[in-house]
Amino acid sequence: MPAIATPPKVKYQKQWERFGYAMISPSMIFLVLVTTVPLVSLLVMSCFRIDLTYPPGNGWIGLENYLEMFKDARFWYSIRLTVIYTAITVALQVVVGLGLAMAFFRGFRGQGLMRVSVLLPMILAPVVVGLAWRTLILTPEYGILDYIAILLGFGSKPWLVDPTWALISVIIIHTWQWTPFAFLVFLASLNAMPQEPLEAALLDTRTSWQRFRYIILPMLRPAIVIVLIFRTMIALRAFAAIFSATGGGPGTATEILNLYSYRVSFNSLDLGYGAALGTVLLLITVGVSMIFFRMRRASIS
Amino acid sequence: MSKVTRREFLDKSVKVGGLLLASGIAPAFIRRAFSEDKHAAYLNAKINWRQVEGTRIKVLVTPAHYFNKFRAITPQFEELSGVKIDFDIIPPREMREKAVLDFGAKSGNYASHTADPMYLSLYEANKWVEPLDNFLNDPKLTDKAWFDLEDIIPLWRAADSVNGKLYGMPAEGEATIHVYNRELYEQKGLQPPETLAQFMETAKELNKIDGRIAGAALRGFRGAGQNMYIWPSLFLAWGGKWFDADGNPLVNSEPGVKSLEYYCELLQNYGPAGVENWNWPEIMEAFAGQNVAQFIDSNSTASIIENPKKSKMAGKTGYQRWPKGPSGRRVSSIWNWTMPVNAVLPEKQKTATWLYLQWLASRPTQFSSAVYKENPDAVVRTGVNRVSIWSDPEYRKVIDFTPDYADVVLTAMREDTDSDWRPRVPQWPKIGEAMAVAIQAALVKQKTPKQALDDANADIAKVMKRS
Amino acid sequence: MVKQIHDRNPLKLIGIAVKSILFMLMILTWAFPVLWVILTSFKTRTDIFTVPPKIFFNPTVEHYIEAFIRTSDIAFGTSNSIVIATVTTLLTLLVAVPAGYAFSRVTFKFRSQLSFFALISQMAPPIGMIIPYFFILSRTQMLDSYSGLIAIHMTLTVPFSIWLMITYFQDLPVSLEESAAIDGASPFTTFFRVVLPTVWGGVGVTAIFAFIESWNEFLYAVVLTGSRTKTVPVAIFSFLTTEESLWGPFTATGVTIMAPVILVALFAQRQMIKGMTLGATKG
Repeated sequence: MPAIATPPKVKYQKQWERFGYAMISPSMIFLVLVTTVPLVSLLVMSCFRIDLTYPPGNGWIGLENYLEMFKDARFWYSIRLTVIYTAITVALQVVVGLGLAMAFFRGFRGQGLMRVSVLLPMILAPVVVGLAWRTLILTPEYGILDYIAILLGFGSKPWLVDPTWALISVIIIHTWQWTPFAFLVFLASLNAMPQEPLEAALLDTRTSWQRFRYIILPMLRPAIVIVLIFRTMIALRAFAAIFSATGGGPGTATEILNLYSYRVSFNSLDLGYGAALGTVLLLITVGVSMIFFRMRRASIS
Repeated sequence: MSKVTRREFLDKSVKVGGLLLASGIAPAFIRRAFSEDKHAAYLNAKINWRQVEGTRIKVLVTPAHYFNKFRAITPQFEELSGVKIDFDIIPPREMREKAVLDFGAKSGNYASHTADPMYLSLYEANKWVEPLDNFLNDPKLTDKAWFDLEDIIPLWRAADSVNGKLYGMPAEGEATIHVYNRELYEQKGLQPPETLAQFMETAKELNKIDGRIAGAALRGFRGAGQNMYIWPSLFLAWGGKWFDADGNPLVNSEPGVKSLEYYCELLQNYGPAGVENWNWPEIMEAFAGQNVAQFIDSNSTASIIENPKKSKMAGKTGYQRWPKGPSGRRVSSIWNWTMPVNAVLPEKQKTATWLYLQWLASRPTQFSSAVYKENPDAVVRTGVNRVSIWSDPEYRKVIDFTPDYADVVLTAMREDTDSDWRPRVPQWPKIGEAMAVAIQAALVKQKTPKQALDDANADIAKVMKRS
Repeated sequence: MVKQIHDRNPLKLIGIAVKSILFMLMILTWAFPVLWVILTSFKTRTDIFTVPPKIFFNPTVEHYIEAFIRTSDIAFGTSNSIVIATVTTLLTLLVAVPAGYAFSRVTFKFRSQLSFFALISQMAPPIGMIIPYFFILSRTQMLDSYSGLIAIHMTLTVPFSIWLMITYFQDLPVSLEESAAIDGASPFTTFFRVVLPTVWGGVGVTAIFAFIESWNEFLYAVVLTGSRTKTVPVAIFSFLTTEESLWGPFTATGVTIMAPVILVALFAQRQMIKGMTLGATKG
């Protein structure tokens, strides 16, 4: 964090410190109360067998759920899908968002219209987004996108029915919904950049590419890291849109870890194992965020 | 005069008194009788409907026209009994999750819910639900003669029983039948197929007959209640068995592989685009819009199909039973919505719940709700739970979409069903899940049918072994 | 210099052409699907699934009537959603704004650890949390209650809001507190009288995001509400019944869910964008 305003007089130091604690205590107390208890119970549940389909077998089993996870092919498959899904959608959001921001940051007509349009996807409830894409946009022949694909000569695609296409489709849906966030962040960043280095660069460098790479990109680094942190967190636990679009299918082709945990807990009614899967996802999310967080601290200095 | 015993004296005086009362207060009674006419049928039952008046219970249902009808006429029950009922209406999957969560947390939120019969053995294994015999055999709670349990479709009751004991009251159900476009059949000179092989032939003949229409459709959506609603019938039609004598699963046996291959061949070649994701509303809409030539699914689709405002196929549709499989069997589903009683409730609420279930499943209610129209466009119920109503000419008038529709459904419900159409074990949720994934994996060619079934079989064996 | 200007002109024209096409593509990509949903809500039942998809059709408001008048659920759900989202937002601001200030402008021990905790406290996957929440709420009789769902919604809104406010406060010039200190103002006075008024725009933006988050929330709502507190995303699903998917009323309700938020967005779009992007520019 950058240098903070601290009152110059030492006699206020204690007062401000107490003030600081007072200001954060309502939220901290609230968060500790409301998230810690369920978190702990999640961890505890993961050490039990809580199988509703066979009550006699339930009880404490220590880390057995995790050992079983290790041998579970469907788990590893879902990890793979999660990595692919998250990496591609976040990368796309950043690249496309940045590219579009570069194209438009010098101001243009119709800004208002553009801003409202790009806000719309983010306002839509993810559950509605998934369903709308599934039935109104990607349905063979009746869906508008499929129809356009046919018109353009690509032919109807098995958007949600072929395993590979289904993964592509859900990535498209998520990217569609959240790229505007990256776009707007970068847009503002570029607009706020000081002009002198840019002007100086015009004289120094030959190509816009060099200018981009050596001047603009470093200045954008904080912004890029912020986008990475938030978008990755969201992508890792994406649920509603994928669930309403494909339900994790076809087969298990779009079953990212979050969805697998859901199916285990609520369809197979194996709550202990589902909790263990959820815990693993949590650990992954925290781990990745810590890495990005460090990157952010580094880039500020 | 012989000595009159106290009892005889009381008896006589009651009778005399009754006559007096009747004649003296008759006018008042007659006045009230007209307004309570709707309760007359229920008042015949020799139980006290008002024994727990003032109690309040919550019931969890799914959005569906038949439950809308039940809800609409429930005020009659409330008047009759003094019991107040609150409904929560939630889509099927979320509803089941909520019901299970409610049971698991023992919070006693929901007195009853519209349950999937396949889950009853799970509920029973966890002791979450009360055996209905406790209520049925209590003369204070049930007038057995009036209620006539035997009239309720036997195979549904069998499906709703665990180890021979009834745990859920069937409220509404269906049979699986073959629905086809009569015009197209006539156009091509086709006869309704007797066997599944012939069914495949008709699908082939009709496929793309006008350049667009799909030959046949079956549920493709991955789910224990979706594609696993259709495939078990095929599996059993090929003579398959779920478990052998030692309890080992047999889904990858020859009948399993052959029936899955049939399913995949039919849908991959003659199914509509996107059928892999279709559940029955999509199939029904497609048929009604003349984009699919025929399908096999619930008989309740008829009420939409035969509505000219919602369908282009009204009056042009034919209905018949499932075609026979190589084993000679036709296997329909035993699907019904069953309502259990939450075991965690206090006595009064359990009684209230039972009274409601009894009222709901009784002949008068089943009949009146069947023909009830909550708005002019409303459909009629095609899944009443009593054999007597199916044979009742009044009801038949209402559901005679075609002259033979009612007979087809009734016969299907009588002869084509098998209560072990799906394995009714507590592990069903896991089994259903594993099978649903396998079937769809085969359909989308992620695995071959044999591979998919081998994998599923191994999963199921693991699940059963744990227990 | 001259060489560069010459190089620019033809490129500039191409640049403008490309930008215009890009502009239209962007509008098309992002606004169009939403517009398609809105269009669908005005189509008659048989017009919704046609080949080719219809762009011109006879509009009807029957679905809106069906959704609002015939089915009393939706109006009821909307009022519940308004209550829950509003209270969630207000309470969130109440706890998040002071916390954001403290984390960004005040030094105290464990500040960075606590702020990291605020960041990760929202990382638990909701799926994992549903079961513990259900158990806890049912034991405390808070199922199907406003307070239960509001508390859960706040776990979604508070962490994000804290971080959003942190980025707003970071933007302010140091001189603000310094001059207040010179005047002898206490920390409280400094915060309420001097600092807060200057970030009021940021507070507004945070409020909007918190509101959206709560308004659209489905997963917790469906499990933790009941007939008394059902919110509109839950009610909307009653149109996907077991015997027919009523896409008409479903899209009509979907549009209605969107509508309040879109209206707010239209008026506040400038604020929102400034809000989202402020954090990035300062790091």
